[in-house]
Amino acid sequence: MSEIYDIGYRHYDGPRLGGGHATRALAVHSLRAIFGLGRTARSKIMPFALATIMLVPAVVSIAAMALIQQRAMTYSGYAVIMQAIVAIFLASQAPTVVAPDLRFRVLPLYLSRPITVTSYVAAKVAAMTAALFLLLAVPLVLMYAGELLIDLDGPPQTKEFLGALSMSLVLAVLLATFGLALASLTPRRGLGVASVIAVYLLSTASVPIIYSALEMSGYHSAASWAWLMNPFWLVDAVQVWLFDTPSHAEGAYPGGPLPAVIVVALIGVAVAVLAARYRKAASR
Amino acid sequence: MHILATEGLTKRFPTVTALDQLTVTVGTGVTGLVGANGAGKSTLIKILLGLLPASSGTAKVLDLDVATRGADIRRLVGYMPEHECLPPDVSATEFVVHLARMSGLPRTAARERAADVLRHVGLAEERYRSIGGYSTGMKQRVKLAQALVHDPKLIFLDEPTNGLDPRGRDEMLALIRRIGTEFGISVLVTSHLLGELERICDHVIVIDAGRLLRSSAITEFTQATRTVTVEVDEGTEPLAARLTELGQKVSPHGRLLLVEVSGPGTYDAIRDAAVDLDLCLIRLEQGRHRIEDVFREETAHV
Repeated sequence: MSEIYDIGYRHYDGPRLGGGHATRALAVHSLRAIFGLGRTARSKIMPFALATIMLVPAVVSIAAMALIQQRAMTYSGYAVIMQAIVAIFLASQAPTVVAPDLRFRVLPLYLSRPITVTSYVAAKVAAMTAALFLLLAVPLVLMYAGELLIDLDGPPQTKEFLGALSMSLVLAVLLATFGLALASLTPRRGLGVASVIAVYLLSTASVPIIYSALEMSGYHSAASWAWLMNPFWLVDAVQVWLFDTPSHAEGAYPGGPLPAVIVVALIGVAVAVLAARYRKAASR
Repeated sequence: MHILATEGLTKRFPTVTALDQLTVTVGTGVTGLVGANGAGKSTLIKILLGLLPASSGTAKVLDLDVATRGADIRRLVGYMPEHECLPPDVSATEFVVHLARMSGLPRTAARERAADVLRHVGLAEERYRSIGGYSTGMKQRVKLAQALVHDPKLIFLDEPTNGLDPRGRDEMLALIRRIGTEFGISVLVTSHLLGELERICDHVIVIDAGRLLRSSAITEFTQATRTVTVEVDEGTEPLAARLTELGQKVSPHGRLLLVEVSGPGTYDAIRDAAVDLDLCLIRLEQGRHRIEDVFREETAHV
């Protein structure tokens, strides 16, 4: 027979770690939330289904290398080819990172602790970036491991693999900042999903329209700029410039460092929107 | 020692002055902050947490300046907001553990503290269920638990009894009293209901339209007045007439009589009058001020 004794209130005299610890804990917590870890089974379905789909081309490619000694997929083109899946992942998961804290007004509870608005937003961006990077990089790593094991003729494409890996990080930062900025504008999750997907579809759909319009009017060189409307082709253009890979669009990109400048500028805009949004939310 | 002190604290918003030259000090124990809605209570708490800059004046919490040491203050202070602030899809345990970590507690300490604190606020098995299914009373307990989880030196409770039924209100007030005494955590609790604070506070601050109306110990508010309340079964009017005849100042107050005490003779006069008229004396009670009365008087003067 056991009894529960009321031992009264106990004070805490253990360590109190600083804002840095809290920010890291928040980033890990948000990353787990993106993949539905520690949540219901239902919230795991979407992220894990999409992550599994992302792996399919890598598996097929490994099989092709093993059986017919051919590459079915390039490292540099992986993100562009799988862009719809990445976009759906971003649209479905970005709102889960930011919307509940705004909608249910949890933000004041964070801000009354050693966490600042800046570190709160930084943790959220870091979590979303890490999630997107995992989504893009795991298939690449898997494919590269397969290539090393199968040992095709000729040297392994290590340079292209590392280039694609670093561009995955750039793409992840661009998509995470933009996705979170869009999702944070509405506290409703459904609207957040819809607005992210709408912006992606708009940017993708406008590419062929602008491209063909310019092409038919005879501005051939200007037409190549149309590709940069879509974030995946934009980052691919940076990859072409940095790593000398072939273009994965149907035409050439405008060369030079300008696409890279646009990427940096877009990340800056997204961060500015996030900062403005959260400064307003914090002052409520 | 002062838990917090403000000096000429002023906060102007574009259209309204929320705090106007507020100078006040608060000691340890339970302090009530009273004012009507919009009197500036929530604005004051936000400034004290270092979340809102003051327009002018200074404020110190635990001897730390709110303008420069906000982060240090927030490490040692707990805050329970007035509004709803709980996500519905997580359990109380998960939520409180997470916020403990946001206060800088390591993982295992956060778990232990959350379990401890949820027990103290009176959440048993239901703490493993999603908050979405909780009653208002349970939600208020979770809000209180997250403010206590990092064992703060001082907690700000903004309207903690809002939306509670009478029983929930009593339990919440008893809990706040325990926090201030047994737990040894100083409390600043706001309310627009004075009667509530009278029961649990050591000290009461009354503000109106951002200005200080009064700040004093609860004993001063409720000190004995120079009147005695008399209640008899029947014959209130003859008794009043008789007492007036005997030279006492009497004012009727519904079925009661308020008699001004001029000396020990007053009590004798009441006794004799009741005996002479053969009345059934039910109550003879020393009159006490209630905070409401003080508040009414103060606002009447302003």
